[in-house]
Amino acid sequence: MAIMRSALGRARGLGSAKDGFHHWWIERLTAIALVPLTLWFATGVISVAGADYAAFAAWLGKPWNAGLMICFISAAFLHGKMGMEVIVEDYVSPRCLQLSVRILLNLMAFALGIFSIVSVLIVALGG
Amino acid sequence: MPLDLVLPRNSRIKPGKSHKAPAGAKNVKEFHIYRYDPDQKKNPTIDIFEIDLDEIGPMVLDALIKIKDDIDPTLTFRRSCREGICGSCAMCIDGINTLSCLKPIADIKGPVKIYPLPHLEVIKDLVPDVNHLYAQYASIEPWMKNRTPMPKKERLQSPEERDKLDGLWECILCFCCATSCPSYWWNADRYLGPAILLQAARWVLDSRDEEQGSRLDELEDPFKLYRCHTILNCTKACPKGLNPAKAIADLKVLMMERIV
Repeated sequence: MAIMRSALGRARGLGSAKDGFHHWWIERLTAIALVPLTLWFATGVISVAGADYAAFAAWLGKPWNAGLMICFISAAFLHGKMGMEVIVEDYVSPRCLQLSVRILLNLMAFALGIFSIVSVLIVALGG
Repeated sequence: MPLDLVLPRNSRIKPGKSHKAPAGAKNVKEFHIYRYDPDQKKNPTIDIFEIDLDEIGPMVLDALIKIKDDIDPTLTFRRSCREGICGSCAMCIDGINTLSCLKPIADIKGPVKIYPLPHLEVIKDLVPDVNHLYAQYASIEPWMKNRTPMPKKERLQSPEERDKLDGLWECILCFCCATSCPSYWWNADRYLGPAILLQAARWVLDSRDEEQGSRLDELEDPFKLYRCHTILNCTKACPKGLNPAKAIADLKVLMMERIV
């Protein structure tokens, strides 16, 4: 298709989405949350490294640990999904492929997040 | 391909002509210069010019003018003020976008490699097409907008209010920053880029302007503003020593101020 639209018309394009702050803000909130959560996760996992299932289930069964684990999983999946979305927007240009990858990313992050949280609950509650 | 990982076939650079220094030249430096002539229907080339530095001034622009005057008058580049005020002679020298009139040849080890500003369409040789950047500049409406009726005298501003424009008004729109930004390379159609966002900040932060809110409304967009990933190539490239990344961060802070 020949493009005869003016340069200003193309630069103005579809205008402002009046959105973008929210994505930026949640990315930063989850990043801040992940600093202590990742430290806790690393030290926690090291503390039960090599232990058997019963010892690990007892560790995860403490409300404090189960709660923090669910916080860690939620923040990590949300942050990872949002970061990946920006990367896909930047680097995957065919519109159809970009949208498909974004839909897949959202569904995968949601499903894997729920799956992980349910797993934590089952182990913690001794299922 | 999702990405342009290689140059299109007709953009790949081939070896070009070589121009030797005159016999007896003592202080010879090689200049490798990108050449493209749309009338030739050929791929771009790199031409090599040997220049006697004793015959010219100290800056890269002096060498380009020497080449155009005495060796190859078809060499095409923009230049005007030759002292870093007009922003015309922006190009990629030794891998960094800068103004050729402010870049000392002595700073460069080995051959001086000169290309047009990256990721813009090339019109000829070192002249890129900057129409889209000018259109993006126009799109932010870079003029004073007021609702208060026109005063009889000038609009007043305190020294503190005026200070907020320092580091912004000095921009000469050479676009060294915008064309050094990978985010601008990938999404120039929608992302405004560091040069235009610095200009946007210049109007948003001007105490005499009364459209701060609507200006921010126009900028709040996942692409127009938030494609900035703080890579900071812009700040590194700016030949005027400005900090476009800081201007963009200031805009993001104002976005936060009005929501959080």
